[in-house]
Amino acid sequence: MTFSSAAHRALDAACSRGAHYADVRFENNRTERIEVRNGVVAAFVDTTSIGYGIRALIDGAWGFCASNDLSDAGLDLAAKRAVEIARACSSVAHTKFGAAPQTRYVDHYETPHIIDPRLIPLGKRVALLLDAERALHIEDSIGVGRAWIDLWRSEKHFYSSIGSKIEQTILQSGSGIAAMAIGDGDVQTRNFPGDNGLYQSGGWEIIERAQLLENAPRIAQEALELLRAPQTPSGITDVVLGGSQVSLQIHESCGHPAELDRVLGWEANFSGTSFLEVNQLGNLRYGSDLVSISVDNTLPLGMATCGYDDEGTKSVHSDIVRNGLLTGYEMSNDTARSIGRESNACVRAESWEFVPMIRMCNLVLAPGNTPFEELFTDIKDGIYMESNRSWSIDDRRLNFQFGCEIAWEIHNGKRGRMLKNPTYGGVTPQFWNSCDAIGDHASWVAWGTPNCGKGEPMQTGRTTQAAAPARFRNVAVGVGFNE
Amino acid sequence: MNNQQREALATRVLGMVASGDAEVLVSADESALTRFTRDTIHQNVAKHETSISLRILRDGKMGVARTNILNDEGLEACVAHASALTAFSPPDPLLGQLPVSPTVEPTPGAFDQATTDATPMYRADAVATIFKHAQAANAWCAGYVSTASYGVTIANSRGALQSFDGTDAAINTKMTAPDSTGFAEAHATNIASLDADAVGRRAARIAVDSAQPVGVAPGEWTVVLAPAAFGELLTYIGDHFSAQAFDEGSSFFGRDLGRPYFSPNLSISDDFSHPLAPSMPFDFEGQRKSRVDLVRSGIVNDIVTDSYYARKLGRTNTGHALPAPNAVGPQPLNLVVAPGKHTRDDLVHSVERGLFITRFWYIRVVDRRRAIVTGMTRDGTFLIENGSIVRGVKNMRFNVSIVDALAHCEPAREQARTGGYAYSLVVPTVRIDGFTFTSGTDF
Repeated sequence: MTFSSAAHRALDAACSRGAHYADVRFENNRTERIEVRNGVVAAFVDTTSIGYGIRALIDGAWGFCASNDLSDAGLDLAAKRAVEIARACSSVAHTKFGAAPQTRYVDHYETPHIIDPRLIPLGKRVALLLDAERALHIEDSIGVGRAWIDLWRSEKHFYSSIGSKIEQTILQSGSGIAAMAIGDGDVQTRNFPGDNGLYQSGGWEIIERAQLLENAPRIAQEALELLRAPQTPSGITDVVLGGSQVSLQIHESCGHPAELDRVLGWEANFSGTSFLEVNQLGNLRYGSDLVSISVDNTLPLGMATCGYDDEGTKSVHSDIVRNGLLTGYEMSNDTARSIGRESNACVRAESWEFVPMIRMCNLVLAPGNTPFEELFTDIKDGIYMESNRSWSIDDRRLNFQFGCEIAWEIHNGKRGRMLKNPTYGGVTPQFWNSCDAIGDHASWVAWGTPNCGKGEPMQTGRTTQAAAPARFRNVAVGVGFNE
Repeated sequence: MNNQQREALATRVLGMVASGDAEVLVSADESALTRFTRDTIHQNVAKHETSISLRILRDGKMGVARTNILNDEGLEACVAHASALTAFSPPDPLLGQLPVSPTVEPTPGAFDQATTDATPMYRADAVATIFKHAQAANAWCAGYVSTASYGVTIANSRGALQSFDGTDAAINTKMTAPDSTGFAEAHATNIASLDADAVGRRAARIAVDSAQPVGVAPGEWTVVLAPAAFGELLTYIGDHFSAQAFDEGSSFFGRDLGRPYFSPNLSISDDFSHPLAPSMPFDFEGQRKSRVDLVRSGIVNDIVTDSYYARKLGRTNTGHALPAPNAVGPQPLNLVVAPGKHTRDDLVHSVERGLFITRFWYIRVVDRRRAIVTGMTRDGTFLIENGSIVRGVKNMRFNVSIVDALAHCEPAREQARTGGYAYSLVVPTVRIDGFTFTSGTDF
């Protein structure tokens, strides 16, 4: 049976049972994880997963059923269950918000890439990690060395009862190294690149770009030096954040609060609501004039880059914050219509077995015009922090506290001695309004996040926050270490 | 897929492996979840999947492949992938033989047929019940009702064969009133034990009682943590009791077992058979699980192991392996805090001035070695004065060492099961002295 004939069977089964609209998404997913830990291959996993999810809409209420049973009977049963669920949902729901996509697409998309990872021999993939991990062990105090590669290949086939037929092949790749130094009653860890590796859409060229082996000795040395480094002091000071940390800041304090389902209360019991309420659209001064953040699902190298989202809406670029002003959200068909807008294609499911929902996709902080080293020049006393270590923010996304792996003092415009356990905290709009410089395009990177959690059942999303280092004034630092 | 079918599938896969030790994990899941907000159901989902994970060990090398394509072609491809992966690893001398454990009896109370058979209408009716409480309290609600059944079979080429069927059901809801919120939850292996009416009523009561919250100053407070709050805090120290963390020396106790770190009132075990949360009696290598007393009267007493770390450390295999391979080593997934002597109300009455906390949010590790974490309160934080809960307070951010907190901890007599997206555990309400808050919010 082809996906096309299976899709027609499933859609016919759903519509004949009363669905006003139905779609079905088949996925054939292949993932590979290799992890080397202290000289041994601790993980070497090849996963193949095929299945489908059917959405049925009845009287403004959705039902969803997923299965890996591709037989005729399996398709019929899944369609029947999706319809039954929609009907049960409709029976108690007072508000019927469900809305079907209006535009039909017949198209295909493939992630641009240079080297198909399948062409790289398995032995070469493992050897790269063994070499990089070995290079971390520059002293016995490196208690744990790790090096890893993740490869994803997803073939998606989307069909809907309005005639959409969209075929996509998505490739995403990532790799990283980490050194854990243990000694003097302390544990300090450094990751590279960024805080969890370099994750982007594309092929093996993404792995090569990370330059794991070349950077391993430096990362290990930094982990060792952190054991002996002084504690980051507590107080109010100017801060420069490295690009990957700005990426995390965007993710937590803009990406999540700008998800319109969260704004509408759909995540209230779990991942929370949002301070970016609909009546503030066009009015809220989210950040300084320098701060412009957009959602761009066509971004080259973005982990969420694709032709169409998982309810069949074509990828677009749209503003969230323009010159500091709140102007938009990440939206689905349902939620966009509830505020008189159109979807900007931000609906994703982790894989076939999950219901598509609004997910953070690719967020882009527009680069500024300040070369990286000039971010420090007019700081008399401050701190430069790199690589996220901890992240916590309240359930309306206002009060946050983040920690980094490593920091350096800034004195009279120059970087000074290394500091350990750096943390900083604040309140989201005040913090972004204190941003007075953003790095230029030369320091701007599409940082991928491979493990963003949201939803019940929990789904793991892969997002990107493209960012450059940035400067913030009068920030509370050393939070949590006041002793 | 029932357990005879899973065992037949596992045997079939083992028969396809030409050389080396092999282990097959067959998982068959049926789950459904109805998620609601305000006055509507916005996500209503069901899932069915059967999949296998195959681990092959050959000359100290390991390869793992997973698939949900269960025809001959799919299984043969899976065997070929796992086998191919073993060719490229350097040998690990600690990768020994796969464990073989006698067949383990099912855990009493772990499976319930009615939970397996629950319909979408059952879940919808539970949601309608909660809607009524929200309306009566002039609040809106958000939450879920879920039911799941899962079957696991583990077999290996040395003769191990274990099967388990379990069920789970849960209801949780948050109630949002004009300036306050409340939360309640219920978890059980059988739906008959869940009471949507009680959950809705309790969450609404907390929201109403915490209305018009006032701000209080950050600093050190005596707190009384309800099970949802204490349980989430405790999950951030569970992995310190892994043999992997112990071996690395990254646990808060380094490699020192037998030392008093916590209050003598506190005992923590890992117990898969607790009646409030009965679960799988063997681990993901098919090894019989042991109940492990991690903390006995405040003394750090023991760690959990799997076959790899038992061999490496020369310790007994306690049966706490996760599905292979994984980066975190063996883990205690069934934490149970022993009950104390006093009632929950006694603990509140014992506090002259403090805070009662219903739930935490977004706890993250700030300093691994000292087990310092930060997080927020949410969904029902109250001021306690002269032994009574007097009013709601605005939410606050804390920064505490869990080790320090548990050193000043008094558990209550009543235990409850609590859970989130990644954990399930049995804990009482506790009183903790010297809990440090560092900032607040406007809500």
